[in-house]
Amino acid sequence: MDARVRTIAFVYAFAVYSYIQPAGFRSTYPTLADRIAFAHSFAGNAAIRLFYGFPYDPVTIGGYSAWRVGGTLAIAAAVFGVLAAVRALRADEDSGRMELVLANPIARRTAFSSSLVAIALGIALLWAAMTVGYVAGGLPVGGSAYLALATALVAAVFVGIGAITSQLAPTRRIALELGSAFVAASLLLRVIADTAGGAGWLRWATPLGWAEEMRPFTGAHPVVLLLPLALSTALLFTAARIARGRDLGTGILQARDTTSPRTRLLSSPTAQALRSERSSLIAWGGCFAVFGVILGTVATSVSSAGITPQVRRQLAKLGSGSIVSPRGYIALIFIFFVLAVCLFVCAQIAAARQEESEERLETLLALPVGRLRWLGGRILLGAEAALILSLIAGLFTWAGTSSQNVHIPLWQMLEAGSNCLPAALLFLGLSSLSYALVPRVSTGISYGLVMVAFLWYLVGAIAGVPKWLVEATPFAHIGLVPTHAFQTGAALVMVAIGAVAIAAALAVFKHRDLTGA
Amino acid sequence: MSAIRTEHLSKRYGATLALDSLDLKVEEGEVYGYLGPNGAGKTTTLRLLLGLHRPTQGAATLFGIDCWRDPVAAHRRVAYVSGEPFLWPAMTGAETLEFLGRLHGETDRGYREQLIERFQLDRSKKIRALSKGNRQKVQLIAALATRADLLLLDEPTSGLDPLMERVFRECIDEAKERGQTVLLSSHVLSEVEAVCDRVGILRSGSLVDEGTLDELRHLSAQTIDVTFEGSPPRLPALPGVSVTSNGGSGLRFEISGPVEPLLSQLADQRVARLTTHEPSLEEIFLHHYDHGDGRGPA
Repeated sequence: MDARVRTIAFVYAFAVYSYIQPAGFRSTYPTLADRIAFAHSFAGNAAIRLFYGFPYDPVTIGGYSAWRVGGTLAIAAAVFGVLAAVRALRADEDSGRMELVLANPIARRTAFSSSLVAIALGIALLWAAMTVGYVAGGLPVGGSAYLALATALVAAVFVGIGAITSQLAPTRRIALELGSAFVAASLLLRVIADTAGGAGWLRWATPLGWAEEMRPFTGAHPVVLLLPLALSTALLFTAARIARGRDLGTGILQARDTTSPRTRLLSSPTAQALRSERSSLIAWGGCFAVFGVILGTVATSVSSAGITPQVRRQLAKLGSGSIVSPRGYIALIFIFFVLAVCLFVCAQIAAARQEESEERLETLLALPVGRLRWLGGRILLGAEAALILSLIAGLFTWAGTSSQNVHIPLWQMLEAGSNCLPAALLFLGLSSLSYALVPRVSTGISYGLVMVAFLWYLVGAIAGVPKWLVEATPFAHIGLVPTHAFQTGAALVMVAIGAVAIAAALAVFKHRDLTGA
Repeated sequence: MSAIRTEHLSKRYGATLALDSLDLKVEEGEVYGYLGPNGAGKTTTLRLLLGLHRPTQGAATLFGIDCWRDPVAAHRRVAYVSGEPFLWPAMTGAETLEFLGRLHGETDRGYREQLIERFQLDRSKKIRALSKGNRQKVQLIAALATRADLLLLDEPTSGLDPLMERVFRECIDEAKERGQTVLLSSHVLSEVEAVCDRVGILRSGSLVDEGTLDELRHLSAQTIDVTFEGSPPRLPALPGVSVTSNGGSGLRFEISGPVEPLLSQLADQRVARLTTHEPSLEEIFLHHYDHGDGRGPA
C-alpha cells in the first residue's frame, strides 16, 4: 500500500474515532450520576480493562476519552509506527531502489534522516488529527493536545523499533514480522498489567503502558513523556549506527543461505504456497491461541454487580444482550476474533497478489499450470487456514474458561469460533474479486472493506445510528454465540455471497492480462 | 502443423499498439531468431504466446493449440526462459529445479544433473544469495532439462559470462539435433548468427523482415575494401556505390546496386589488395534501423 494512502487512512480513522468517543459518551451518559454508575459497573471490570486499559477517571469525559480512545489508538499508533519505519527504511532496499539512490552523492545518513523526517510528518499529522477530534468532541484544547501527544509518542517508539528490526532482519518481511511481534508483546504486557491484580508495575515495562501512565485528563504526569522520547531517540540513533555499517540489502541477523534440499510440499503450486506461508500461519495460530486463553481466563472475572439498566441498554445495542456473564463477555469479544480472521484472509489474497506483482506468477503460468488451479488453490488454502484459526480460537478460549472452573461446553465454544467462517468466506470472496478486477489496488481495497465494515458496526451501534443503516454491515448479522443463537440465515447469505464472489473472481482472473507491480 | 503460428495478432495496451497484425510462422525443428529494437514488441509476443496476456485481435497457436484458450495443453510441450529470473528467494537452486520440474511433468533428471555440472551451478544456495547470472542459470537448466518440443527464450543469456554463453550455444545445438524447435529473442547478435536458421526482425509491432541470413544479406550493402598501389584514384560516381576513404591508400566501396560497373572500373586501376566481407547480422540490423526502411527482401 502506498505510504501516503496509508497515512491518510490512519489520520482519518484517528480523527473520527477521537471525535466520536467523547461526543458519544456525553450524549449517552449526560449526567454525573449516569457516569458514576457507568464507572462502577462497566469500567470497574477486569474484562473491560483487557481491551481498553486502566481507567483512571472514567467519570469525566476527558478521563473516559483517555481510557477508551487512548488505549485503542495507542495500539493503532504502534502498528503505524512499525509499518512506516519498515516501509521507508527497508522496502526500497530490498527492491533495489536504494542502490540507485545511494549511487548518487547522497550519504546513507542523509537517506536515513530524510526517511525519518517523512515519518515524523506522518506522526505529526496523527497528533493533529486526534487533537482536532477531541476538541470537536468538546474536550479542552490543552488536555486534548496532551492526550494526542501521549498516543503519538507511542508511534514514535515503534518507529524506533521498526528501524532497528529493519537493520537486523534479513528481509523486509521478517522485519515487519519482528516489529509486529514487539507490538503484540507490548500489548500483552499491558493487558496483564491492567487485568491481573498487583501486576500494575508491569505497565512501566511497555510503551503502551507509558501512554496510560501519562494520565491525560486525570492528573497529568508530563514527566513520563521523557520515557518514550528517550527510548525512541536511543533506538533511532542505534539504528542509524547499524545502518552505516551494514551491507545494503542484508540484515545483521543472517538467515542461512544454503541448505540441503527439502523437497516436500513441492508437487503443486498450492503445496508450495503452503510451504512459503507456513511460518506466517503458525504465528497467526499462536497469537489466536494465546489471546484465546487470556480471553477465557479473564472472562471469568466478569460479574453483574451494579450494572444499571441504562448501561445494559447500551450494551444491548451491540447485540450482546447480556455482557455481564462470562458467556456474554466472550460472545461480545469474539467479534474481534471474527475481525482478525477476516483480516487474515485478506492477507492470504495479498500474498497471492505479491506473487503476481513480483512476476513469479509468470514463471508458474508458463508451465502447464492453469490459472484457475493456481488462484483456486490459494483461495482454498486461505479458507482452510481460516477454518483452523476459528477452531483454535474456540478451543483455546474454552481451555481458558475451563482452567477457571467456569463451564461452557466445548461444542458451544467451537460454535462461537465457527462464527468467524461465514464472514471470513464473504471477505475472502470480496478480496479475491477485487484482486481479479483491480489487482494493483486490491490489497488496500480488501483491508479497507473489512475495516470499514467493522467500524461501521462498532461505531454505528454505539452512536445510535438507525438500525437499518447499521444492518448494512455483515458484522451486525453475526449472532453472538454462545449467548445468542448462531444466525444461520445470515450465515448462509454471507457464504452464498462469498461463493458467488469467488466464482466471479475466478472467471474474471481467467480473462485478464497478468499485471506487474 | 507449425510449432508457432500467429495470424494477424494484435495487442493494444490503452493507447499504445504494441503488436500490429503480426503474422509469424515457425516450423517444427527450426531455430528462429527474433530480433528488434527495444520496445518493438518481442516480449509482448512471448507474453501472448504464453497466454499471459490476451490478444486484442487475431490468434496465436502453438502446435495448433490456441495459446489463450488452452494454455495448459500448449505449455506441456513448451519451456520458457524469461530475460529476468523471477524465482522464490527462500528456496534453494535444487528445490527450485525440483519444483519447476515436477510442475512441468516430464523432466529428464539425468540430463538435469549434467546441465548443473556444465553450467557450474551451486545448487544448495538459496535464490536470494545467487547473483543474477546464477539465477538465470537456474531458469535455463529447468527449461532445457524438460527437453520440451518448443523452447521460448527471451534474452536467455542475459547476465551469463562468456563461458556460460558457450555452454548455452552447445545446448541449443544439441536441442536442434534432437529436433526441438527454438524461438530465440536476443540482442546478442553473434549468438543469433551462430545458432539460428532463420531470423525475423520486429519493429513497432510488425515483422519488417524475415529470412535466412543469406536472404537478409542481400538487403545490406556489400563492402569492398581496396588498397591501391600509390594514392587512390578518383573514380567517376557510379549509381548505388558510395565511396569513403580507408586509410592512406585505400578506399571502401559500399555497393547496394550492381557490382559489375565498379569491377570494370577497378580493372583499369593498380589494385594491390581487394577484400570483400559479407555483412554480419549486426550490420544488417543496424542498417535497418539507421535507414529506417525495408519491408521484406527483394
